[in-house]
Amino acid sequence: MSQPTHDEIFDKICELLIPYNPKNKAISDQSGIMTDLEVDSTAVFDLIMGLEDHYDISIPMEMVSDIKTVGELVSAVKQLTSEA
Amino acid sequence: MDIFDKFASLKSRSDLVQKLGVDPFGVKFDHILNATRGMIGNREIILAGTNNYLGLTFDPDCMDASIKAIKKHGTGTTGSRIANGSYEEHIDLEDALAKHAGMESAIVFSTGYQTNLAAIATLAGPKDVLFIDADSHACIIDGCRLSAAPTIRFRHNSPADLDKRLTRQGKIEDGIALVVIEGMYSMFGDKAPIKEFVEVCERHGAYLYIDEAHSFGIYGETGCGLAEEEGVLDRVDFISGTFSKSLASIGGFCLSRHKGFEITRKAMRAYMFTASPTPSNVASARAALDKIASKPELRANLHARAEQLHAGLTALSYELCAGPSPILAIRRPNEIVAATEWNWLLENNVYVNLAVPPGTPQSSSLLRISLSAAHTEDDINLILNAFTEMGKQSEVLMSRVQELMAAAQ
Repeated sequence: MSQPTHDEIFDKICELLIPYNPKNKAISDQSGIMTDLEVDSTAVFDLIMGLEDHYDISIPMEMVSDIKTVGELVSAVKQLTSEA
Repeated sequence: MDIFDKFASLKSRSDLVQKLGVDPFGVKFDHILNATRGMIGNREIILAGTNNYLGLTFDPDCMDASIKAIKKHGTGTTGSRIANGSYEEHIDLEDALAKHAGMESAIVFSTGYQTNLAAIATLAGPKDVLFIDADSHACIIDGCRLSAAPTIRFRHNSPADLDKRLTRQGKIEDGIALVVIEGMYSMFGDKAPIKEFVEVCERHGAYLYIDEAHSFGIYGETGCGLAEEEGVLDRVDFISGTFSKSLASIGGFCLSRHKGFEITRKAMRAYMFTASPTPSNVASARAALDKIASKPELRANLHARAEQLHAGLTALSYELCAGPSPILAIRRPNEIVAATEWNWLLENNVYVNLAVPPGTPQSSSLLRISLSAAHTEDDINLILNAFTEMGKQSEVLMSRVQELMAAAQ
């Protein structure tokens, strides 16, 4: 897989967030995943596993703890896909 | 800024649930009569949410062992085994656990939570990689957080997904992979396909650690748990468990088929820097271990009651999260409905557990039942009658839910 762009990763995250965003809140880079989008800690890890499988990367749990916003998650995936 | 401001959303959620009646997370029993009955005020409650799987909390031999230990050694150890020494009961229980499971090493801890916290945080070093099931208990997750190792989660109960993630990880330079699963999961009562996990771990050269907190004493020919039931106990590197469920005490243990495990006594902070289990707790756990070995009929009755209740609830059209097991989780549409029903059950003298997100898989709201070998066929019928009656009153209960939801808007 060629290295994904910021927008491609952002769109993938939005797609994976659909089941956890029943109120269909608007998502931006600045959206807090647990605060603004109200995704609970268990669901965040389901989202992470979806991203790991789609991009064939490993996102360790301690890295997830530091990620608060959608934009930070995009950056983490971008960094890990560039290392792969 | 108030120090408690950060709990504001938790508090509003908690306040909402308390408007329904009793706080489901702060129930007070005035008197426990036996393994299946307690008193709240002058009402006798049937206990169906205590994890007292073998019903040994009032076993005369277990109680007698505790009383004798108190008379012999006093009420507390007042320190850790590293700094303040061990009692003969600690050593005796470790020897008995290792022998019972055919393991080389056994270490006892002060609680089940501390067992996984101590062992996982210490066994995995900075160059190792931890692989844990997505539905892992909080103590496993906290053990991983305290360890210096990166932690990868795999899909719940999926050996194929673990295989994929171990393959993706590839060779670990100067380190090992440690895989952590549970035998039976505490919320849904679903069981891990342990034999398949063993095979995946062996193929990748990974170590396997199984928490059998909810399955020790309940499964396997001699009650060692689900690894024994699947015939692979001797291929598992570490088995952990607790004294606070089938062993009817408090404390925990970790067993290993590796003699090298012994050295970790001098490295596990949650073992070294906490008081050791009290003589009375250890003595009753030791007596309960004898019961596990000598009374398979306890397991037989427990499984018969689980089959009976599972069939009865299924006939009443309740959605259960897994097949028959001593843990039966009933899925409800949301936490307000679950809390309303939980209150109704308690008002009608049936105590079960309310389990809500984020402590549950798939963000589920559950009425969770745990059964005991001390429950009789009539007890299960009492529980089923309560659920039947609750079903008949669903319209009244749902209007209560709607009123509360409207008030909360």
